Amino acid sequence: MTGQTPPVLAVERLGIAFGGLRAVDDVSFEAGRNRITTVIGPNGAGKTTLFNLISGALRPNSGHVRIDGREVTGAAPAALLRLGLARSFQITNLFFGLTVAENLRLAAQVLEPTVRAFLPVRRARVARARVGELLERFGLAAKAAELAGNLSHGEQRRLEIAVAMASRPRILLLDEPTQGMSHGDTEDTAALIRALAADVTILLIEHDIGLVMSLSHHVVVMHQGGKLAEGPPEAVRANPAVQAAYFGHA
Amino acid sequence: MPERPARSFPGRPVADRLSLSMRASHLLVVLLVVAGLALAALGSALGDTFYLRLATEALIYAGLALSVDILLGYTGLLSLGQALYFGIGAYVSALTLMAVPSFWLALLAASGATLVAALIGGVIANRVRGVYFALITFGLAQVVAKVVYNTRELGASDGMIGVPVVEVPLGPFHVSTGSAPGFLLVALALLVLLYAVSAYLLDTPFGRVLIALKANERRVAFLGYSTWRARMAAYVLAALVAGLSGALYPMLRGFVSPELLYFQVSGNAVITVVVGGVGTLVGPIYGAILLTVLKSVIGSWTEHQLIVIGVLFMASVLFLPQGLIGLLRPRLARWLGRAEPPPAKAAEAEARP
Repeated sequence: MTGQTPPVLAVERLGIAFGGLRAVDDVSFEAGRNRITTVIGPNGAGKTTLFNLISGALRPNSGHVRIDGREVTGAAPAALLRLGLARSFQITNLFFGLTVAENLRLAAQVLEPTVRAFLPVRRARVARARVGELLERFGLAAKAAELAGNLSHGEQRRLEIAVAMASRPRILLLDEPTQGMSHGDTEDTAALIRALAADVTILLIEHDIGLVMSLSHHVVVMHQGGKLAEGPPEAVRANPAVQAAYFGHA
Repeated sequence: MPERPARSFPGRPVADRLSLSMRASHLLVVLLVVAGLALAALGSALGDTFYLRLATEALIYAGLALSVDILLGYTGLLSLGQALYFGIGAYVSALTLMAVPSFWLALLAASGATLVAALIGGVIANRVRGVYFALITFGLAQVVAKVVYNTRELGASDGMIGVPVVEVPLGPFHVSTGSAPGFLLVALALLVLLYAVSAYLLDTPFGRVLIALKANERRVAFLGYSTWRARMAAYVLAALVAGLSGALYPMLRGFVSPELLYFQVSGNAVITVVVGGVGTLVGPIYGAILLTVLKSVIGSWTEHQLIVIGVLFMASVLFLPQGLIGLLRPRLARWLGRAEPPPAKAAEAEARP
């Protein structure tokens, strides 16, 4: 039975071109349940574009995206979220004028039954309980009433992940979650991501090679829009083509 | 809710910052109702009609400003053509009253027509954002105004006069639209109802999605909501508020004219919202009262009242970015926040790594 279960997230021959540029070209891979799959590659390799294709921000020209074997290619972000796929952004994308708690509450309110959409927010118990959990888990409880725009960079990056987690997704796409973080914050975030993998399947974009090696179960290497290699972290690091294209240039 | 654990942060129904601001607005509306009742009593004791009818007009325009604020202050959409729905409400109400003199039927017909018009207008305007949205709403209103201006059946440029005075049946009571204090109270009641429905909706998960649209529309789709549907809902809600307010206009004035659909009315409503306080709901109501009274008072001295309104507008933008009520409301909200039980801050601080 296990052998026949379709992968949580499968990307098959996915491609998109902007004008003549093939930003993502014939990329295929699978993300295993509750595992951390990391997409690496030099700047401009097409990693964020790949995330945009999977999360519905962009519609692919070719190929397929499947969640649990179900075809979701080209579905809108809202529909994908309701199927259990959430994402964070490389450039912090929060509601800066709203409080931390309200950012989380907004993201958690999809958990409420639809009838509650027209009842006062203070009656929305499911979302409120979820906000409490998230504040605790992401160490933001002391900042709950602070405006998101007033947080430090590291705190905003953490809130970014917390907002993506609010809807209890099954698949979480994290686009450079440690971008711009101090060393200490990066370590904390790595631990957090590792802990999240107990509940969700994670697809990660990360530049810090040390972090990639220690966090990932599976690594996909992208280069000039295409997939160069994939495999367990150690095998990928040993791959001569990857070393030439990626590590060699570093 | 005594069975809930007291510690976990929003474990109890504690009002958050947005709910508290909304409650601050409620207080200011209660103040308005008290003032309205006092004015009605005073006016009828003194036998005044002029000031009562001026106040009624202010309340009608307050409804239009409320409608602009739902879009501008909460959803982040600048409509430069909200007079379209105000005018449709007024014309349909006038036509209905002239055929069947029934207050409730007039309101019903006006809302029905506004709803249909808003669905059509919304589908057109919501294809675009920002400046383009503003221009499309402006264009829609201008087109309809010109059509009305050239339609003989609607009285063309003269508009329609002779809208009859009707009785407003309110259960056991009757109020005539011709009675100055009586109709002031009717207009006040409708405005408070429109305010209450809007404020209620904006404090629900549905309304919070609208607020999120204003804050960061691109993120909203990734929270699981169709941004198009949310914008449409806000647009239709705002149009209904404008249409119902417009429906009272012919009852007060006895006529309608194409000017009701003109940019001057739409533009004035936007100025009213900015002067009163964008995103406060109650600010635009006070703004409308201030501007209507100012126009009448200054208008009795000089015909160049628009200069004064213009200067007032610029002064608000420069010195009171949150409008008149924006000065007062955060203080009220903080005061209301102190009355709330504190959200166990100390315990949460310890939980931080």
